[in-house]
Amino acid sequence: MASVALSEAEKVYIMHGVQEDLRVDGRGCEDYRCVEVETDVVSNTSGSARVKLGHTDILVGVKAEMGMPKLEKPNEGYLEFFVDCSANATPEFEGRGGDDLGTEIANTLYRIFNNKSSVDLKTLCISAREHCWVLYVDVLLLECDGNLFDAISIAVKAALFNTRIPRVRVLEDEEGSKDIELSDDPYDCIRLSVENVPCIVTLCKIGYRHVVDATLQEEACSLASLLVSVTSKGVVTCLRKVGKGSLDPESIFEMMETSKRVGKVLHASLQSILHKEESLGPRRQKVGFLG
Amino acid sequence: MPGDHRRIRGPEESQPPQLYAADEEDAPAARDPTRLRPVYARAGLLSQAKGSAYLEAGGTKVLCAVSGPRQAEGGERGGGPAGAGGEAPAALRGRLLCDFRRAPFAGRRRRAPQGGGEERELALALQEALEPAVRLGRYPRAQLEVSALLLEDGGSALAAALTAAALALADAGVEMYDLVVGCGLSLAPGPASTWLLDPTRLEEERAAAGLTVALMPVLNQVAGLLGSGEGGLTESWAEAVRLGLEGCQRLYPVLQQCLVRAARRKGAAP
Repeated sequence: MASVALSEAEKVYIMHGVQEDLRVDGRGCEDYRCVEVETDVVSNTSGSARVKLGHTDILVGVKAEMGMPKLEKPNEGYLEFFVDCSANATPEFEGRGGDDLGTEIANTLYRIFNNKSSVDLKTLCISAREHCWVLYVDVLLLECDGNLFDAISIAVKAALFNTRIPRVRVLEDEEGSKDIELSDDPYDCIRLSVENVPCIVTLCKIGYRHVVDATLQEEACSLASLLVSVTSKGVVTCLRKVGKGSLDPESIFEMMETSKRVGKVLHASLQSILHKEESLGPRRQKVGFLG
Repeated sequence: MPGDHRRIRGPEESQPPQLYAADEEDAPAARDPTRLRPVYARAGLLSQAKGSAYLEAGGTKVLCAVSGPRQAEGGERGGGPAGAGGEAPAALRGRLLCDFRRAPFAGRRRRAPQGGGEERELALALQEALEPAVRLGRYPRAQLEVSALLLEDGGSALAAALTAAALALADAGVEMYDLVVGCGLSLAPGPASTWLLDPTRLEEERAAAGLTVALMPVLNQVAGLLGSGEGGLTESWAEAVRLGLEGCQRLYPVLQQCLVRAARRKGAAP
């Protein structure tokens, strides 16, 4: 992961501040930085979103393609994740440097979506055993300033909300050969319900307390973090300890409670922003990359 | 690896016949949710490895080997302030490289070993759980290689691999703060189900959620945690973590005895 070199004095300063619930930029331990979300930024995709969390910049594109369903689940479509850590984020990611981090993030995304309730995969089925929709979710890391997992999960949720999958019908002749017909109306599409899509909340342990949404400097002071993936109803779909330190069992229970609280607020504000953006309709001002 | 199509004429992809069979297996029998399967652990069995361990729990068989310390590739320069106890500064600390491999015949379907994906994720989980226990500051500019091979998957494979890896590190004489003990849990599907400790393969396949906990028993610190699925609210997961930690504490005396026996064997050998 991108890291920044901190002196011991700076680490002590950050740790003492966190004990008093005061972080370097004035936030409390459970406050997120200002998040900017914009959907529909890339026109060639079925859905896309861009999220800026402080200086962390993530771009997610979702492309829906038709494929064969998996053998064990013939009535469902599936999602494929790919994370690309671009060399723009830090020089460490040049060449194959970012591959390890990219695989780790992709594996975490597979894990958090690996249950029946996050995305209704049956809506992605076109005809059982033969055709289904495969959603290729591609995450691009443009800039890294700490707290990658949270930003990526917010961006994935926004992109899935924005995804429009064209309606397709399978027609059968008398001879039995099947033909796929795409609907003529470009606005006739299926939308996914993102009610139960989880968001990741990363809690970094600094000293005796834990903080939400750590910056790069705070991540350098923390030896262990807990990654909790929580839905808007408070259901946890993934739990993972990250980092080279160990955690006290009591801190783990406290961190899980915090993640539930913080997760609810995060989901509520994200839903309201996404609906507001959608309600502005096609005439809204697109900020894009120059804003 | 792609098959040899010039000499072996066959389909590109093959499936086992069980996939097309009707689902005849009965639901796993009801059992005490806190039972741990009897464990057989033996350390110091591979002659070519610095340290090794074999662990068998129910149907799960894991073999782990440790080699090193040897010189780390891509040495880093410079240092920072030295840590306490004469340890190397942060930039010169040793590295732990973990590798997790599943034998192709380990599960029900034959799986060729792949580079990325699940094995990479479990290797990372192994590394994150073992790092808190190993005193890497005492091995500056060196790397320790831990490789775990899963011979048969009978449920809670990652937990068994974690325990075997910690035993192998101890057998290799690597300086550690404490052993790491792993325990697996799973939640059966259904509205009123409880978490089951140390699930079998059948219970794991039908589970709605799974969790692996790694504990350092003497220090009482959680070294690793990896779980996913529809486990419900945080209270349910917290209960699962508690159950897992209790299971780890119960397993610890068995591992202590295993290491004592291995040390005696080494001492007695001419």
